[in-house]
Amino acid sequence: MPQIDLLVSNKLGLHARAAGKLTKTAGQFTSDIFITKEARRVNAKSIMGVMMLAAGKGTTVTIEAEGDDAQEALQEIKALFDDKFGEEA
Amino acid sequence: MTSSVKKPNAVIAAKSTPEKDTPASTPLICLYGRGVANGYAMGRAVVMGATALEVAHYRIAPTAVAAEKDRFSQALKATSDELRTLAQNLPDDAPRELAALLNVHQLLLADPLLSEETLLLIEQRHYNAEWALTTQGQQLGEQFSAMQDEYLRERGSDVRQVVERILHTLAGTRALGNLDAILQSDDPLIVVAHDISPADMIRLRGARFAGFVTDLGGPTSHTAIVARSMGVPAVVGLGQVRSVARDGDFLIVDGQQGTVLINPPPSQITVYESLATQYADSRYRLLSLLDVPSETLDGVRIGLHANIELPEEAPLALSQGAHGIGLLRSEFLFMSRADLPSEQEQFEAYQSVVVQMGDRPVTIRTLDLGSDKNLDGEATVTINPALGQRAIRYCLARPELFQTQLRAILRASAYGKVRLLIPMITGLAEVRATLEIIEAVKRELQAKGQAFDPNLEVGAMVEVPAMAIAIEPFARAFDFLSIGTNDLIQYTLGIDRADSDVSSLYDPLHPAVLRLIAGTINAGQRFGVPVAVCGEMAGDARLTRLLLGLGLTDFSMHPRQLLDVKQEVRRAHSNALRTKVAGALNRAEAIDPDRLND
Repeated sequence: MPQIDLLVSNKLGLHARAAGKLTKTAGQFTSDIFITKEARRVNAKSIMGVMMLAAGKGTTVTIEAEGDDAQEALQEIKALFDDKFGEEA
Repeated sequence: MTSSVKKPNAVIAAKSTPEKDTPASTPLICLYGRGVANGYAMGRAVVMGATALEVAHYRIAPTAVAAEKDRFSQALKATSDELRTLAQNLPDDAPRELAALLNVHQLLLADPLLSEETLLLIEQRHYNAEWALTTQGQQLGEQFSAMQDEYLRERGSDVRQVVERILHTLAGTRALGNLDAILQSDDPLIVVAHDISPADMIRLRGARFAGFVTDLGGPTSHTAIVARSMGVPAVVGLGQVRSVARDGDFLIVDGQQGTVLINPPPSQITVYESLATQYADSRYRLLSLLDVPSETLDGVRIGLHANIELPEEAPLALSQGAHGIGLLRSEFLFMSRADLPSEQEQFEAYQSVVVQMGDRPVTIRTLDLGSDKNLDGEATVTINPALGQRAIRYCLARPELFQTQLRAILRASAYGKVRLLIPMITGLAEVRATLEIIEAVKRELQAKGQAFDPNLEVGAMVEVPAMAIAIEPFARAFDFLSIGTNDLIQYTLGIDRADSDVSSLYDPLHPAVLRLIAGTINAGQRFGVPVAVCGEMAGDARLTRLLLGLGLTDFSMHPRQLLDVKQEVRRAHSNALRTKVAGALNRAEAIDPDRLND
């Protein structure tokens, strides 16, 4: 399954708004998308799952995607992380 | 606060035997909560929604599983549509926070963790949809409550609100299904709710209510803020009023004492009618003070300013005759959210207050939060938050956050008279660091060609005893000082007022506290620096004479207290009070404020 490691570099971590943006982005794809922090793996389309990871700034998470649009999904999600979820605008 | 009003509690206690006109079988039900908006209200209960605890639990037949799953999915979709419609039709003046919260609620509704597990419970355990949903909702809620991060912990209540909303859809009732009836009724109505969610708040806008009572909530809950802005009483934290009161019950809401009486006997109603009349009379009489000068009998002018938390409270401050805003707490911008407010968002909030206040000064206090609040989303455990990295300590450790706020405040200063107030300064190194950052931000704005008031006054809160004891260099460094009595008392006496074991030892009249206040006022006079008091002491009309006696000429308080204090000011003889208080202070004697009447 295609996967990438991403660093959470936005100030607020994957809490609330960033979690919401990630969930929304993941939800646009038909692929199954998972996000893993340490031993915990959750559905990236679930805002509660993502919030419960409590992935703060500086943590590394792994995103996996499986399905027809898996590669695009990973690219979009990577862009979101790189953009620090639009927080530092 | 108003000491002239007879304590209704005493009245209740005296009435242990039912009156002739009361059926003996009707006991007087009186619930105790927390009054968060003053006044009295009487009217009919309008009970909002059912709680998750009250739904039916039963097992469905195996043949009914598909239909039950469908019922749940339909309810989910209908609820989602309802929220989307609400979000799309948000009034222009709705707080931005509401839109963000509605968005989170929509995402929660769409979350497979909520829907898929619920469907599984229906399918495998044959729970009815309501039972399955509350089971899964509770489980998720518990996981959130167990989280270390305070912000994430609070999301548990969002999950609960979303679950309740789906339950209402399942039951075919809307959370505020009876709203149309409410809007058309002529009787005074009292909202009875478990809690009031942001979505409910939008729908309640425009409806007229005589009062609010809720099971949950504190002084900064949505309920409290709305009630205060509407000028109606509210009692929150009642625990179980939702399960005790029924639609149409006659309620008395006592915002003074924080009590709610359900179906009281006529004799009680009479008592409260007269209390309400007295209260209204005293408010009305006080209104006649709006246009008279705020000065003592011997002609000393006293400044009366308002403490506010939200831009929406500025009209209230003006309506009560505030000379300006003595304390705009900026924390409201930072609370109940995970990210930080942008410079533009902050600027707009500050500018709104400045414009509303016209040529009256607006004192904006920079962020007074601590590391215990987890603003940066990093879970930290602070051993003793009151003595930890908070207020200016926190801001100096996060220059970006501080500079953003300073830019926003400085930009707002182009629109009126803004004063900048720095909380919790303790040492001179902090003074230098703070003033340097302010100068740097000014240079930055200048370079960008952005307008601000170059003569913006910078003041400090006097709340750490260290500053009050060695006040002189601080009085030289700042343009004004404002004494935050709440923290000053807590630090001076070593008492945490929130700790019920020691709260009785919290004594604003301790001679040490009074000496610190007097010393600060005195230094202000010597250095020509205005000194205000903005803590709770300033708004307690019982203490007005004492503060005048300490030489105070500038008070800042909750807007609703302004006229009570003004009345005391106009009855006082400042010089005589100073002589009396000075003597007692020199001898470190206890001062009884009630015996300062001339």
